[in-house]
Amino acid sequence: MSIDYYQAKDHAPLPPKNADVLTTACDYCIVACGYKVYRWPVGTKDGGMKASENAFGIDFPSNMLQSWVAPTQHNICTHNGKKHNVVIVPDKDTTVVNTNGDSSIRGGLLAQKCYNPDSKTKDRLKTPLVRVNGVLTPMSWDDAIDIAAAVGSHVLEKHGEAAYGVKTYSYQYIENTYAITKYALRHVNTPNFTFHDTPADVTSTPGFRDAGFDNFGPSYDDWGSADTLMICGTDPYETKSVLFTQHIMPGIANGMKVIALNPRDTAGIAYIKKMGGLHLDVFPGSDNLVLGAIARIIMKNGWEDSDWIKEWVNSKWESNSGFGQGTRNTPWQWRTTWGKFQTKGYEDYKKWNLGQKEYDPAYAAKKAGVDVKKLYTAAEWLAKPVNGKRPKTSIGIEKGFYWSNNTGNTNAISSLATICGAGGRPGQVVGRFGGHQRGGQKGGGYPRNKSAQKVPGRRRQALDTDRWMYSGHTRFAHVIGTTWIQSMTGSQGLARKFEELVVKNPNQVRSNNKAEIIATLKKRADSGGMVVINQDIYLRDPIGAKFADVVFPAATWGEVDFMRANGERRLRLYQAFNDAPGEAKPDWEIISLLARKMGFDGFDWKSSNEVAEEASRFSRKGRKSFHMVKVAAHIEGKSLHQKMREFGTDGIQGPTMYNYKTGMLYGTKRLHDTTVGEKQFTAMGLSNGPVKENRYGKKMTHFNSQTGKINLQKHPWSLFGDLWEWLSPKGDELWMSNGRVNEVWQSGFDDVERRDYISQRWPGNWVEINPADAKKRGIESGDMVMMYSNRVPVFKDTVLGVHGKDFQFSELMKNGHIKLDKGSITAIAIVTPTTKKGAMYANFLDMKQPNNSLTIRVPDNISGNYNYKMAVGKVKKIGESEFKNDFRGMSFAPRNIT
Amino acid sequence: MSEITNIGQEPIKKDDSAEAHGKCMLNRRKFLMYSGGTAAAASTVSITLFAGTAQAETRQARVQGYPRKLVAKLSELKDHTPVNFNYPDDGPNSQAMIVKMGNVQAGGGVGDKRDVVAFSYMCTHQGGPMQNTYKHVGDQRVMGQCPLHLSTYDLRRHGIIVSGQAYQSLPQVLLEVDGDNVYAVGIMGLLFGRQENLSA
Repeated sequence: MSIDYYQAKDHAPLPPKNADVLTTACDYCIVACGYKVYRWPVGTKDGGMKASENAFGIDFPSNMLQSWVAPTQHNICTHNGKKHNVVIVPDKDTTVVNTNGDSSIRGGLLAQKCYNPDSKTKDRLKTPLVRVNGVLTPMSWDDAIDIAAAVGSHVLEKHGEAAYGVKTYSYQYIENTYAITKYALRHVNTPNFTFHDTPADVTSTPGFRDAGFDNFGPSYDDWGSADTLMICGTDPYETKSVLFTQHIMPGIANGMKVIALNPRDTAGIAYIKKMGGLHLDVFPGSDNLVLGAIARIIMKNGWEDSDWIKEWVNSKWESNSGFGQGTRNTPWQWRTTWGKFQTKGYEDYKKWNLGQKEYDPAYAAKKAGVDVKKLYTAAEWLAKPVNGKRPKTSIGIEKGFYWSNNTGNTNAISSLATICGAGGRPGQVVGRFGGHQRGGQKGGGYPRNKSAQKVPGRRRQALDTDRWMYSGHTRFAHVIGTTWIQSMTGSQGLARKFEELVVKNPNQVRSNNKAEIIATLKKRADSGGMVVINQDIYLRDPIGAKFADVVFPAATWGEVDFMRANGERRLRLYQAFNDAPGEAKPDWEIISLLARKMGFDGFDWKSSNEVAEEASRFSRKGRKSFHMVKVAAHIEGKSLHQKMREFGTDGIQGPTMYNYKTGMLYGTKRLHDTTVGEKQFTAMGLSNGPVKENRYGKKMTHFNSQTGKINLQKHPWSLFGDLWEWLSPKGDELWMSNGRVNEVWQSGFDDVERRDYISQRWPGNWVEINPADAKKRGIESGDMVMMYSNRVPVFKDTVLGVHGKDFQFSELMKNGHIKLDKGSITAIAIVTPTTKKGAMYANFLDMKQPNNSLTIRVPDNISGNYNYKMAVGKVKKIGESEFKNDFRGMSFAPRNIT
Repeated sequence: MSEITNIGQEPIKKDDSAEAHGKCMLNRRKFLMYSGGTAAAASTVSITLFAGTAQAETRQARVQGYPRKLVAKLSELKDHTPVNFNYPDDGPNSQAMIVKMGNVQAGGGVGDKRDVVAFSYMCTHQGGPMQNTYKHVGDQRVMGQCPLHLSTYDLRRHGIIVSGQAYQSLPQVLLEVDGDNVYAVGIMGLLFGRQENLSA
């Protein structure tokens, strides 16, 4: 592997007083820190060192925490066709999110993201491309759209909607996701549709959904104002670092106790421990056992929050009740067909928990590989009253947790939280910390009844698009802003299937003639092969580089005005400040061209704002409803985007409310806030209920359940236990989980590939191995190792479940629906005690050596999500990397030194 | 002179060991002297990076006339005991330290064991004070966590980030040895808060 080395620059220009100043937010992680863009023409004077000479209005050299421009925060971009200096730095004036201008390493490097033909961004896609004779050949927009539309229409007509697959990002701005889902779900109306991080369009956290918790109910202030904060399956410092530094760290400094449930020991967890926190370092996938045991300890000691439970937990009758139609048609009901989860309330749950042998603390601790004393300490911190006063407890989860045992873990944590009284009060909240930002706005409903897939019980299940494609049913794959293959599990097997259906099909384009191209691609689809079209900002390998027949160049962050929300539902306008490269267009515009060519109406938008304004009314039921911002804007004679621009980096938290009398707009600090009183309703002009277009839904002051109270659910280990036992390392296998590092998170497409500093820090795929495991295998830091497995279970068929246990792993195995696949990848070894003995910890997604090659492709049998964190593999040394004895790149220092 | 060539001059093949890194810095200093760069004016020169490797390339670089400042005596440096100094001047944000890292070789290290290095104390994230954060664990040598936002830097690898928030490596003070004397002769990377290292 060869990398470009970063060469430290030792100067950076300051923006002059007259520089243009635009606000935006970071493009990457869920936190979405506020940034300011300073722009001035190349060739005009830079700012000076005196306060009177620069745009920051401070003297340089600046002091700690003041504004500063690092060399990597400056770039040269094109604006209105002319070269401009651009400096992108955190907004020092912001009072929310990244208070006083904090920033992450990713956001700090945003300037490097901008298109500059003299930089690593020069390979941005600039024109549509069509594959002819195996080569992606530039083509006009008209011709490329004609080809995609003709073949797409043909597939719809001849093979039906389910043959038209759409795999798209869920987050890349409200305007784009609205256009894409309006096209895919409302007009194409295909069940063969899903988002970048799941094989099927299903909820990420079924336990939250069924208990009644919104994923993003809490405000960032809540995460720092508990007495005890339990963090499951993430180190927020690594993956939402400013949430940690600006909200959780001050909380810890004020005495907040933190319990971290995570297999790995990283910088944030090391800090938590240094400050007296508790680390439950479990084996991958064993969280459910630990949580059930902690709940048992709390209940046996009578530390549960009885008042809260009495008021807010559904009783037997409430569990069975519903609004009008009953709970029959809710996901909650159909998941509980077999009585696996539903309880008659607290006493019933307690009885069930005490009856499960797995939740004996000693048993759970042994299976999870943690000291049993820690379970007792955790129980005390979470719920034991001190001097008659209950601790205020909050619980936050993320992917390490809910991508290990998706249903079992999220059910268990919902129940534990409820017992502790967490969920509906300031500083006593439950939620996800978040991954990518929240830019999804559906423009159509998922046509579940068209899905060919059904779980045991009454309802059809959202289609598993990987299994569907694997079975050869997808004839036209429309892929938008995702790699599809590497980001799904068992990825090497998926890549082989793509190759078989696309490249090895005899119908390959050999002519530049448009009619011949269309005819050939139609033949491919008709012969059982697959045609691939791809929208992206870079040519991704292999989805674009090897498989796509048509590639459309997309415009992105900073090139078009877009709206999006962060992990506390805070909506901002991400302003355009430089030109998109070549002929690149925003995804909503690409979709509109394609849709119009296919004869669909309602796609003739002229601007990003027009799309946002159309989308607004569809947002009204959602957690980030921005409809009332549009209402206010129109009353004031402004556009929605204009109004959003006024909010700058502070933005506004959804759902939004508007007082028609006072003309004031209101955001929502937290959902499920049971403490909201009459005073707030009066201020919003809603004391007699919603007025005009305002919507004030149940989730504002109650929970998202059939009664507005919480469903306290069972969380049987047995639904997952057979898979876990089967998968557990055999012989010299090790657990192989995976996750993120702070330096690369939601930013790999920019960082690792196009920023020398980050590619020098992380020059290739890596894996952390415990010193004891490494020594046994003769592995040292810096060695190249191979991780391999012939135990990659793949659920290969699209089947209809009939009997209750049909989708249980051991039944699937018995009935021949599981194929054991092989996978092998290489990585640079980091020998470190930060990962547990017996468990490797790998980079979550290297594009060339995807760890997902070894992760199990057996979706959660209840929810349909992948459990990406679950894999085992063997590891052996295959040589030494060039970084082993070199001082320029890669660091092997452990991340937990404090 | 192998690491620094004038425009048009072929880079000379050299090995890529830590010693070569050390030489790189000596040579850089010599180059500055030969080119009359002792004045505080900046000039642009062409330097060859990573000569003798597949990554060798010639780039334009700004070279400034850094002062040559005596910062320590090798014989007086104790293992793992940083010695503070200011560089390149006594103005704001010039706090730095030199440390002997217990016989563990480092990129840019000087002395017999190549284990003597010097770095800025100012975290390049938001200028947090990194005093008293030098740590040695096994054969790893780091500065961190920064008290503000927990950034940690690898002192064996030119101050590259181990974990954290900074947008560039911790600036490394280039050292030169003359007998027992250790001189600071330059800085790799921009000091926090400054627009140019020599601008204060």
